[in-house]
Amino acid sequence: MDAILTVDGVSKRFGGLMALSDVSFAVERGAITGLIGPNGAGKTTMFNCVAGIYTPTDGRILFADGVGEPLNVAGRKPERMTALGVARTFQNIRLFSALTVLDNVRIARHCRTSANFFGSVLRTPSQRAEERAIIDAAMENLDFVGLGETALSPAASLSYGDQRRLEIARALATDPRLILLDEPAAGMNPRETEALVDLIHAILGRGVTVVLIEHDMKLVMRICKRLVVLDHGIKIADGSPQEVRANPDVIEAYLGKGAAHA
Amino acid sequence: MRGAAHTLKYLLLAAALAYPLLPFRDVYVLHVLVLIMVYMVLAMGLNILPGFCGLLDLGFVGFYGIGAYTAGLLTIHYNMSFWLIVPLAVLNGALFGVLLGAPTLRLVGDYFAIVTFGFSELVVLFLTNEIWLTRGPLGIPGIAPISLDVTWLATLLGVDERWRYAFRGEVPYYYLAMVMVALVFLVMTRVEDSRLGRAWLAIREDPMAAASCGVNLFAYKVIAFAVSTGIGALAGAFLARWTLFISPDMFKFWESFLVLCMVVLGGLGNIRGALVGSAILIALGEVLRVALPKLGLPAETRFLAYGLIMVVIMRFRPHGLFTQVAESTMQSGLIKDLRARIAARRTA
Ligand SMILES: Nc1ncnc2c1ncn2[C@@H]1O[C@H](COP(=O)(O)OP(=O)(O)OP(=O)(O)O)[C@@H](O)[C@H]1O
Ligand SMILES: [Mg+2]
Repeated sequence: MDAILTVDGVSKRFGGLMALSDVSFAVERGAITGLIGPNGAGKTTMFNCVAGIYTPTDGRILFADGVGEPLNVAGRKPERMTALGVARTFQNIRLFSALTVLDNVRIARHCRTSANFFGSVLRTPSQRAEERAIIDAAMENLDFVGLGETALSPAASLSYGDQRRLEIARALATDPRLILLDEPAAGMNPRETEALVDLIHAILGRGVTVVLIEHDMKLVMRICKRLVVLDHGIKIADGSPQEVRANPDVIEAYLGKGAAHA
Repeated sequence: MRGAAHTLKYLLLAAALAYPLLPFRDVYVLHVLVLIMVYMVLAMGLNILPGFCGLLDLGFVGFYGIGAYTAGLLTIHYNMSFWLIVPLAVLNGALFGVLLGAPTLRLVGDYFAIVTFGFSELVVLFLTNEIWLTRGPLGIPGIAPISLDVTWLATLLGVDERWRYAFRGEVPYYYLAMVMVALVFLVMTRVEDSRLGRAWLAIREDPMAAASCGVNLFAYKVIAFAVSTGIGALAGAFLARWTLFISPDMFKFWESFLVLCMVVLGGLGNIRGALVGSAILIALGEVLRVALPKLGLPAETRFLAYGLIMVVIMRFRPHGLFTQVAESTMQSGLIKDLRARIAARRTA
C-alpha cells in the first residue's frame, strides 16, 4: 500500500487520561479512510496530533508527500503541517465568523503567499498580483463547494450545513495533499449529506486523500475504502468496511458487552 | 443616504482644512484639535492589538512615552531634526515592542494584559528615577519646536538663501498632525486589506483555526506589536516637539486606559471608529474640565464620566459605534469587481 500517512505507536496522555494508547495505522494515498469509534474514543485527539495541535506523548507520525522521503512530523506546529499539505476541518465549526465567506477562504491562502508589511503598505505590483491570485483561488474553492455566490456575505449568516462546506473550502484553499474531515455531516439534513458525499468524491478527484471521522455508519460504510476503529484510545479494528462490521470487538464497543454473541 | 454621508465627509474635511486660516479661529480650539489628532494616531496604533488581534494591551502609553523621550532627548542633546527623529523614534518604539512582545506574547489573555500594564508602569518608574538621563520628575523642558529646513532645495534652484521655516503657534502643528493622521490612516487601511491584516483578524477570530490556515501565531503577534508600538512612539515624538516639555506623569496608566476607551467606543477593529472615539473623548474631556469646576466638582471627576460612558456603551452598543471589521477590504477595487462578477452570474 502507498501510505500518505503512517501513524506508528502514537499515544497521547492528558494528565491521568490516555486519550490515545499506542495507536498504529496507515492511510492509503488517494482513498477515503474512515476513523470511527464511540464518543470519547480519541478520534479528534488523533486528528489534533496529526494536524500539529497536539504533540503526541509517544510515537511517530510519518507523512509522505509523494515526492520525498516520508518525514516524521510528530510535534510539528499546525502552520507547518498546513504548509506541508495537511488540512483539517473542525468538529465544532471554527469559522472566522465576523469576516465574510470570501475572507475565511482568503486567509487559507496565507501559507501559499508571501506579501509582508511593506508590500502591503506600498501596494507593490507583486503584492497586487498576489491579492488578485488569492481572490481567484478563493473563488475557485468556494465554487467547488457551491458557495461562490455567497462570497461576500458574512460567514455567520450561512446555514449550518453551508458553514461546514465553508470549512471544507477553507481547508482546500491551503492546497492540501491530505484533508482531515472531523464529522463533516454532523447537523446536515439528508439532502445536504448526499451533496456532501458527492463533494468528498470530488475532493478525491482532485488528488487529495481524505480521512473522515463520522458517526453515521451507513455513510461511512458506503464511502470509505478502509476503516480504523478506536475505543477508549485503543485501536480495536482496522480493515475494509465488511471486515470491520463483522469484527466482534467493534460490535461490542458500539453496542455494549454481550452484543456480539446475541 | 450614502451620497449625503459622503458629501458631509468632504465638507467636514474642507472645514478642517480651512479652519486655521479663518479670521475667527481660536488658539485654544486649535490646540484641542491637535490633541485630538495625536490621540487619533494613538487610537489607530492601539487598535491593532485589541481590535485586529484580540490582544488586550494595557500598557500602550509606555511606548508613547518611549517615543516622546526618544524625540525629546535627541532634540536637546543632539539638536537633531524632527524629520530624522521620526523614523528613529518609530524604530525605537518598535524595538521595545519586540523586546517586550517576544517573551510575553506566548502568554494568553489576562496574563498578557497584566504584563503590558506592568511594562508601562516600569517605563514611568524608569523615567522618574533615571535622573541622569531623563531629569526625573522635573521632566525635559525647552525642547526645540519643529523646523523645516529646505535650504538644499534653494541651493538646488540656485537661490542663495536660507529656506528654513520654524513652526510657531498651533497652525503648522495642526497641518502636520493632519498629515500624520492621514498617513497612519492610509497605512492602517492598506494593512487591514492585506495578507497581514487578514492574518491578524484570523488570530482575533479563532487562533486555532488561524494556525490551521498556516498563520504563525507568534510571529504575527510580534509583528502586530511592533507596528502598534511604532505608531505609539510616532505620536510620542510629535507630542515632544509640539508641547516642548515632557515629564513622566504625562505617561501614566490613565492614558492607556483613555486610548483603550477610544478604541472600544469607536468599535474594536474599526479604524474609522478609532478616529471618532478619539474626537468624542478628547472633546468631552475638555468640556468637562471646564464644566465640572463650575459645578463645584474637581476636574478629576471627569474620569468618572469616562467610566460612565463605557458602562453605557457596553450596555447599549457592546460592539462600539462602528461594528464593521475589515471595512476597507469591502471598499477595495478587487472586491468591487468581484461583487459585480457575482451579480452578473446571478442574473445570467
Ligand atoms: N485538551 C484536552 N485535555 C484533556 N482531555 C482531553 C483533551 N482533549 C480531549 N480530551 C479527552 O480525551 C478523550 C478523547 O476525546 P476526543 O475528543 O478525541 O474524542 P472523540 O473520539 O473525538 O469523541 P467524539 O465522538 O465525542 O467527538 C475524551 O475523554 C476527552 O475528554
Ligand atoms: Mg471528536
